[in-house]
Amino acid sequence: MMGKTLYDLTITVNDRVVKSKVAAETSLLDFLRDNNFTEVKRGCDHGDCGACTVIVDDRAILSCLTVALQVQGRRVYTVNSLGSWDKLHPLQQAFVDREALQCGFCTPGMLMTAKALLDKNPHPTREEIREAISGNLCRCTGYNKIVDAIEDAADVISGVSKGGQHG
Amino acid sequence: MKNFEFVRPADLSELLIIKKKLQKKALILDGGTNLLIYIKDGVIREGTIVDVTRVPELKGIQRKNGTVEIGAAETMTDLMDSELLKDSIPFIPEFIKDFGNMLVRNTSTIGGNIADASPIADSAPPLLVLDARVVAASSEGERTIPLSQFFVKPQETALHPDEVLLRFEVPVPKSGRGRFVKLGLRRGTSCSVASAAVWLVADNGNVQEIRIALGGVAPKPLRIEKTEETFTGARLDTETIDRISEGVKQEIAPITDVRGSAAYRREVTARLVARAVKTCAGLEES
Repeated sequence: MMGKTLYDLTITVNDRVVKSKVAAETSLLDFLRDNNFTEVKRGCDHGDCGACTVIVDDRAILSCLTVALQVQGRRVYTVNSLGSWDKLHPLQQAFVDREALQCGFCTPGMLMTAKALLDKNPHPTREEIREAISGNLCRCTGYNKIVDAIEDAADVISGVSKGGQHG
Repeated sequence: MKNFEFVRPADLSELLIIKKKLQKKALILDGGTNLLIYIKDGVIREGTIVDVTRVPELKGIQRKNGTVEIGAAETMTDLMDSELLKDSIPFIPEFIKDFGNMLVRNTSTIGGNIADASPIADSAPPLLVLDARVVAASSEGERTIPLSQFFVKPQETALHPDEVLLRFEVPVPKSGRGRFVKLGLRRGTSCSVASAAVWLVADNGNVQEIRIALGGVAPKPLRIEKTEETFTGARLDTETIDRISEGVKQEIAPITDVRGSAAYRREVTARLVARAVKTCAGLEES
């Protein structure tokens, strides 16, 4: 019996070079989780839930529907690139302050979608936020608190103080 | 056991050599939003994954005289954000707002959505009413196929086994307005139950020209030419729109499946068309 063909792969994840061998059809999600980036969550594994969202080339994408080899030589960012326990990213702080999570399973993907949105559109309307996160399912919060949190974070990032004229 | 290989052509000539050699065993991969699902679900069990994300000839949006050329590998996000399209054919960026969601649009391509030949592909009805053409390429050369002749049946197109979808040619409309409407169980993300695109050219309150394309009511997306002809020249009012709805019901033969029954599809499609015509006519807000 012939062994499965494996291919060399080098991807920069959170600014760290990661080398591995993968099968032709291995998804970026499997590659990341197999290399201990388990902060990237496997939900539906079919592109319906958004839990596996990461940022590649400034765009939020579904890692479960991306072939790992397609990302050869490119930069991938997971939620762990945002902040640390000591210094949370404004989006993470806003999610905590607004209680925008309960079980937390959707949060890593939700945060990366929000990050990509604010990088492209620093002052989104509530409707634009809702549209942007429409591919990320959350079964706990009912979304309102998530939209509140992203709105708050947008203000913090762009330097508008809370309770100010946009508050 | 899954048995796949992987190749990454650097340009079109490499891609066409691979396609000539592997024919239908070449699994063209760009956005991956269809292909990886087929692989995970075991619908496709073997073949060579051909990553075309780095083939420059499949990219680009440009205007050439009265036509806009769109590379097959342009992502939905890039089409939605294209200033050239907003200026020349704003209907394209408009309908893409309802395509999938941001995560899907960021990688899925217009060529992939069309070449997959799903009866409910969201980009098919809008491109059909725009009279779009497909340019196919093989190592023998290029040929142009009207989109209305491109779809054969689910997952089957007019492409020869050695051909790839290179680009679309979309005539810039001289007049008129388009509207795409669909019914899905979840906005954007879910696969639609039925969809409709209408292009309406109105003149002094009359229908000068109407083009209607539907998804989800036949084995392939299609134009309903009988209804289009019947109402050319009609007075553009609510009574005519009711009659167009009736015409749609007469002309289609949908099926029952997991997303809806035949009777439901017939009713829903008629109403989707009515809504799209009303919006095009300015009788209803979009």
